Amino acid sequence: MNCIVKKSNTRTWRIALYLVALFTIPFVAQAEESIAQTGLAIVVHKDTAADDVTMGELRNIFMANKQFWPNRSRIILLVRAPESDERDYVLNTIYQMDEDAFRKYWIAKMFRAEVPRGPKIVFSSDMTLDLVVAIPGSISFMRADQVSDAVKVLRVDGKLPSDDGYPLK
Amino acid sequence: MKNRGLAWYVFVSSMICALSQSAVAQSYDYDEVISSANSDEPEFNVMGFGDIGYISQDGNNEEGFVIGQAVGHLAASLGGSLSIFAEASATARDSGYTFEIERLIAKYEFSDLFKLSAGRYHTPIGYWNSAFHHGAWLQTTNSRPEMVKFGSKLLPIHFVGVLLEGNLPRNRLGLSYSAGFGNGRHENVARAGDAGDINGDKAWMAQIQISPDRFVGLNAGIGFYSDEITPDDRPEIRESTVSAYVAYTKESPEIIVELLHSNHEELLDSSVSGDVTAWYAQFAYRLKDDLSDWKPYARYENTDVDDTDPLLFDQGIDYDAAILGVRWDFNRYAALKAEYRAEEFDNNGRENNFRLQLSFVLARL
Repeated sequence: MNCIVKKSNTRTWRIALYLVALFTIPFVAQAEESIAQTGLAIVVHKDTAADDVTMGELRNIFMANKQFWPNRSRIILLVRAPESDERDYVLNTIYQMDEDAFRKYWIAKMFRAEVPRGPKIVFSSDMTLDLVVAIPGSISFMRADQVSDAVKVLRVDGKLPSDDGYPLK
Repeated sequence: MKNRGLAWYVFVSSMICALSQSAVAQSYDYDEVISSANSDEPEFNVMGFGDIGYISQDGNNEEGFVIGQAVGHLAASLGGSLSIFAEASATARDSGYTFEIERLIAKYEFSDLFKLSAGRYHTPIGYWNSAFHHGAWLQTTNSRPEMVKFGSKLLPIHFVGVLLEGNLPRNRLGLSYSAGFGNGRHENVARAGDAGDINGDKAWMAQIQISPDRFVGLNAGIGFYSDEITPDDRPEIRESTVSAYVAYTKESPEIIVELLHSNHEELLDSSVSGDVTAWYAQFAYRLKDDLSDWKPYARYENTDVDDTDPLLFDQGIDYDAAILGVRWDFNRYAALKAEYRAEEFDNNGRENNFRLQLSFVLARL
C-alpha cells in the first residue's frame, strides 16, 4: 500500500514538473537566449510602403538622415529606453555609439534644426508592438522571437531574422 | 501528499510569476504618445545651452570670470511637414547683455531630397559654424576657431534668405546638399543683412557633403559662397569664398580639419584684390575605461590675410595659435574644460592665456 502511495506521489510530482517546465521554459529560455541567437527584428507598421532595406538605409533611418518612406509618409522612430538588451544591441551595431555619444548625437541633431525632437521612447517589447501597430509610419526593433503578426518585419539586406546571414544576429 | 502540495505550489506560483511579468509589461499608458504621433497638433521641444568661464591672460588686467552665452531653442513641429525653429541668445558685453535672434527658420519638408526653408541661419558653409556654433557643450574645446568666432568678418556667420537642402536617396556615400539665396552682408560686414540686402545684389551659396555608410562619424564637404559687399567705409567689393572640411567625430579619435579661402576684389577696379586663407586642424581623443570622462585635445589654427586685400587688410585678422586642453565630462549634460592658448594676433608677438569653462546643455531626450 505504501508502495502504491509512493508511486502515486512520484507520478504527481513528475506531472507537476512537466507542467512547470511547459509553462516556464519559454520564459527562462527567452531571457537566456541572446539577441545574437534570435536576431533583432526591424518592425514597421503594417501599411508601411517598404519591405526591404539595406543596412546602410537602416542606419540612415535610425540616425534620422532619412525621414521619409518611399511613399513620402514620415518615418516615426521608436527607440527602447536605456538599459535594455535591444537598445544596447542597436547602439552597438547600427549607431556604433555608446549611450553618451548617442545622447550627444541627438542633441546635436536638434541643435542643427535637422529634427524637431529626438526619437520616441518605448519601455518594453509589448509597448513597442502596440505603438508600431497604432502609429502609421513607425519603425522600431525587438527580439525576433517576440514579434507578432500585427506588425511587418522588414528584410535587411534581403534577409529575415530567421535566415542565415541576417545582419542583425 | 506533502509532495503533491509542493508540486502544485511550484506550478501555480510559476504561472502567477509568468502572468504577472506579462501584466507588468502591459501596465503602461501610451495614449498620449499615440495621439501626439497621429495628430496634426503642434508639438514643441525646448532646449538650452550655456557656459561660464574664467580667463587668465598675460599682462591683461581684465582677467576673471566671464558669462559666455545663454542660448534658448524652441523647435515646433506644426503638423504635416512644416516645422519652426527659433534660437535666441543673451551674450555678456562690457556694456551689459545683448539679446539676439540667432536663428529663425520655417521649414517645409517635401521629401528627404527637398527641404525648403526661409529665415535666418548659421551660414551653412564649412563645418564648425553650423555644427557647433552657440552650443559650447557640443564642441570639444573651450572656444571656437578664430575664423568662425562671434563677430567674425572673415566668414559671414549668419545668413538671411531661403535654403534648399536634402539627402540624395540610395547612395552609399551619404551625399547631401544645401543651396541658399538671400541677403548679403550688412555694411558692418560682421553682421548679416537682417533688414534687407543693402545693395540689391543677393548672396548665394552651395555646399555638398558626404557621410559614407561604411564610416560612421566621417563627414566631409566643400562649399562656395558669393556676394557683393558694400562696406560702410570703402568701395563695393566682390567676395568669393571656397570652403572644405573633413570631420571624423568618433570620440576616439576626433579629427576636424577645415579650410576657408576668400577672394575680395573691388568692383570698380579689379586690379585691387587680395586673398585670405584660414584653416585649423583639431585632434582629440577620449580616453578609455575608467578615464572615459576625460578627453584631451589640441588644435592649431592660422589665418593669413594678403596686404592687398581691399576688405580685410587693416582689420587685424592675421592670426596664429596653438591650443592644448582637456575636457572632463563629469556629468551627462555638463562638461568642464581647461585650455591653454598661445596666440599671435596680427604678427604682434605671442600672448599666452589660460581658460576654464563650464558648459552645459538643458535637453530632454
